[in-house]
Amino acid sequence: MSTPASSEGGRVVIVTGGSRGLGAGIVRSYLESGDMVATCARSITPEVEAWQSDPATADRFLWAAADLASSADADAFVKAVVAKWGRVDVLINNAGVARDGIHSMFSDDDIDTVVDLNIKGTLYMSRAVGKRMLARRSGHIVNISSIVGLSGYRGLATYSATKAALDGLTRALARELGSRGIVVNGIAPGYLKTEMSHGLDGDQLNQIVRRTPAGRLGDPEDIARVCQFLTDPKGGYLTGQVIVVDGGLTS
Amino acid sequence: MSTASAAVEQTITEFLTRVEKLPAALTADLFLYADGIGLDSLETAELSAIVEDEHGADPFNDGEMPQTVGDILAFYA
Repeated sequence: MSTPASSEGGRVVIVTGGSRGLGAGIVRSYLESGDMVATCARSITPEVEAWQSDPATADRFLWAAADLASSADADAFVKAVVAKWGRVDVLINNAGVARDGIHSMFSDDDIDTVVDLNIKGTLYMSRAVGKRMLARRSGHIVNISSIVGLSGYRGLATYSATKAALDGLTRALARELGSRGIVVNGIAPGYLKTEMSHGLDGDQLNQIVRRTPAGRLGDPEDIARVCQFLTDPKGGYLTGQVIVVDGGLTS
Repeated sequence: MSTASAAVEQTITEFLTRVEKLPAALTADLFLYADGIGLDSLETAELSAIVEDEHGADPFNDGEMPQTVGDILAFYA
């Protein structure tokens, strides 16, 4: 773990959906690397409250209640970050929701909920942050997708579709913003030990572990480590790529 | 010109100076794009971010795109 830098020296990092699970792991990683970290979610969690009150992180951490399926919420959150720290150096588009079930029986509400947050929320955040990165001619964006966007998964049709959409967004934004020094990549995590995998039953998880060369499910730290690599300030030539981080499951 | 308009015009002037597209005379009827000032789409997005963060609202995100320098100034008037 690196020594926390002063507020002046750290990057300004936004991690969407950072109150629990994978997002919380990514927030923790950037706090540990001395950065200023803002995150949002629909509800606060004990982990967020701990970052707000810990003297080691309180002045480098910003939390806001926001539903990113609303463009007004997304814009207000980005404005709050810029008002506090003046810029955004890194955007990790992590917020997402999964609903499982056979697609033939999926309700309109299930489809809207997953599409609105996973795709529209990511588009709103990328729009609001991207134009500010354009004004500074620098920035790193990472879209967290999923291997199910590449391979598909029974019972996760809508979720898989939204994650494949994020991979397209990654490639398009890399082309659109690359000439202005903005780097855009994606991470497609495999199956993690987080709440997002709770739709899978024990047999499914055991089968996944057996088929994974690394012999285990992923941890948020496995993904956070790749986020840090992809957002290294010196990294400018790796862009428009989706890095699969799945313990070798899809190799 | 109001104080607010003067401040916005100053922001526009600084931006156009930075992107090396400041015309000899910055007049209200100057077209922002193409054969006017010649802002491209990315520069337009940059200007949108700058005026929003410096002046609290974004004329480029309000339905109709400003076409001239005067349209931007009128939004804040």
